[in-house]
Amino acid sequence: MIVGGCDVGSTTGKAVVLNETAVLSHYIVPSTTKPEQTARIAMEEAVRMAGLSSVDELAYIVGTGYGRLKVSFAHDNVSEITCHARGAHWLNPAVRTVVDIGGQDCKVMSLDERGKVLEFVMNDRCAAGTGRFFEAMARVLGCGLDGISSLANQGATPATISSQCSVFAESEVVTLINEGVDVADIIAGINHAVAKRLCSMVRRVGLAEELTLTGGCSKNDGLARALEQKLGVSVRTLPQDPQIAGAVGAALIASEKVRA
Amino acid sequence: MDTEGRAKAFEEFAGAAGAIMNPAVAAWKAQGGRVVGYFCSHVPTEVLTAAGLLPFRMRGTGSTGTELADAFFSNINCSFVRNTFNLALQGDYDFLDGLVCVSSCDHVRRVYDNWKRNLGTPFLRIISLPKKVEDAQVGWYRDEVAILREAVEKHFEVTISDERLREAIRLHNRTRRLQRELYELRKKEAPPLTGAETLAVMVAGTAMPRQHYNEALEALLERLRGANGQRDYRARLMIVGGELDDPRYLEVIEEQGGLVVTDAVCFGSKAMWNLVDEEASDPSEALARYYIQGQPSCPRMHGDQPRRAAFLMDMVRDFRVDGVVGERMMFCDLWCVEHYMNDLDLKEAGVPFIRLDREYNASAKGQLRTRIQAFLETMGK
Repeated sequence: MIVGGCDVGSTTGKAVVLNETAVLSHYIVPSTTKPEQTARIAMEEAVRMAGLSSVDELAYIVGTGYGRLKVSFAHDNVSEITCHARGAHWLNPAVRTVVDIGGQDCKVMSLDERGKVLEFVMNDRCAAGTGRFFEAMARVLGCGLDGISSLANQGATPATISSQCSVFAESEVVTLINEGVDVADIIAGINHAVAKRLCSMVRRVGLAEELTLTGGCSKNDGLARALEQKLGVSVRTLPQDPQIAGAVGAALIASEKVRA
Repeated sequence: MDTEGRAKAFEEFAGAAGAIMNPAVAAWKAQGGRVVGYFCSHVPTEVLTAAGLLPFRMRGTGSTGTELADAFFSNINCSFVRNTFNLALQGDYDFLDGLVCVSSCDHVRRVYDNWKRNLGTPFLRIISLPKKVEDAQVGWYRDEVAILREAVEKHFEVTISDERLREAIRLHNRTRRLQRELYELRKKEAPPLTGAETLAVMVAGTAMPRQHYNEALEALLERLRGANGQRDYRARLMIVGGELDDPRYLEVIEEQGGLVVTDAVCFGSKAMWNLVDEEASDPSEALARYYIQGQPSCPRMHGDQPRRAAFLMDMVRDFRVDGVVGERMMFCDLWCVEHYMNDLDLKEAGVPFIRLDREYNASAKGQLRTRIQAFLETMGK
């Protein structure tokens, strides 16, 4: 039995094709202004990569993410909170805390030993601690998103960025640039500022090991290191691309639905 | 009841809750009736009714922006007062013959200050509300009730006898009893009305001539007693919070399958769960006792959290609530720690709880939808 999961996020669309035991294929596309279209492009490509001829060959599809209500070919939709938790836990069953950092929100979930969400907190009110924030900072610093990830660990003395608001943080960064502070130190400072915010969210649900990151921003190594430092635990990496954890979770739920 | 009959039964209430001016108030005004606005659940509105005035609870319904009001507030004032004052500045509250504010919170106090300087409403008062709920404070509040009573008599040139005040108390209690009966119907396995519908009925009760409202509510109850109820919900929810007057907020929750079966919010159970003593020899004292000690407690009151927690737990048990939604408006200081305590209490009792911050206008639907859907999923519903 082969099923699909489709996670239509604010920035990218992710699709996963899953059989009983493994991810057969996955595909990530930048989100278009039409969530329906984003979903279809991602799912059709993942289906093709899995060697299937059509989306119709999938026994069940679950949609998730901001665009979950617009995935017309999905049989059901489940919130991204449940999906990220399920996906991350399946990829590493020791995981009890998931920090998901997407394009326009971040959320923290605490899980039980079966991957069920016990509690969650979510920030989607402001851009602080989201992909949007990193994009804005990369633009000001002219370093690209890769630079935010790679240069951070070269910053020996992270600059202090106190503002929780991405608009004000950008002003602070501009000030630092004009004071001649080293770019690597500013980037380290940015990652530390976001890590602080995530840290307080983790403490709200209660920190339990192991902890892992999902979502597009989980690829920011500088952020992961900063978070480890603040929380005093190591961040576990997942055996698959952490950006597709939500789509994997959706596919897992799809396969449960078929079995039920 | 079919869909059409259902819409008809709720039509007048939904209309009154969905706007500031409604046909019943317009008719009241056209007949020379006078209307006095009031903020908060602690204003003894029976005094206004006894004076032949129509008490109208202040809201920001229909506001689409706060650009006029923002200049008068700081960036930590809540969006409820901003939207409400914005409506006042653009003339939507010009029909008021008076306004009674209360020192319930600093945001409302600031409305009073701004109102005084910027709007020409002829009768404007602020009541001083004590912070504790002991007998000494009942005495204090009795004085405040008496001062309001005198001021209303003087300004509107009426006499409020004890008997007239008792009559008003009976009329308001009648509303409370009917509303309580409406809530009782929601205890059923298949409640005949949704949380959004209930909230509309409750809000309408603060915006319509009372006699007329009571009759309309009796007619609604008559229809609902034998009506079929909702069975296709995923979970029974309770909503706890403050100034929630927008049925659309509950609609978003209920669209996810979480049927709101009861509440502890200002426009809901808090306004009617208990009764004012109708037989008391001093009706002013009876009102003071009700508004300080009788009605369900507000987080504004010091040292009264155990009573609020007990009320919450009783509600959860009596309405067979599966999960509790705690809403708080951004920048509301009164509610900022209350939900933390609710979280601990409910966790101990094994009742799922979710805290939601919101703005006055229910515009962030997608964010609310995701949280409620995830909340229901975590409950295994």
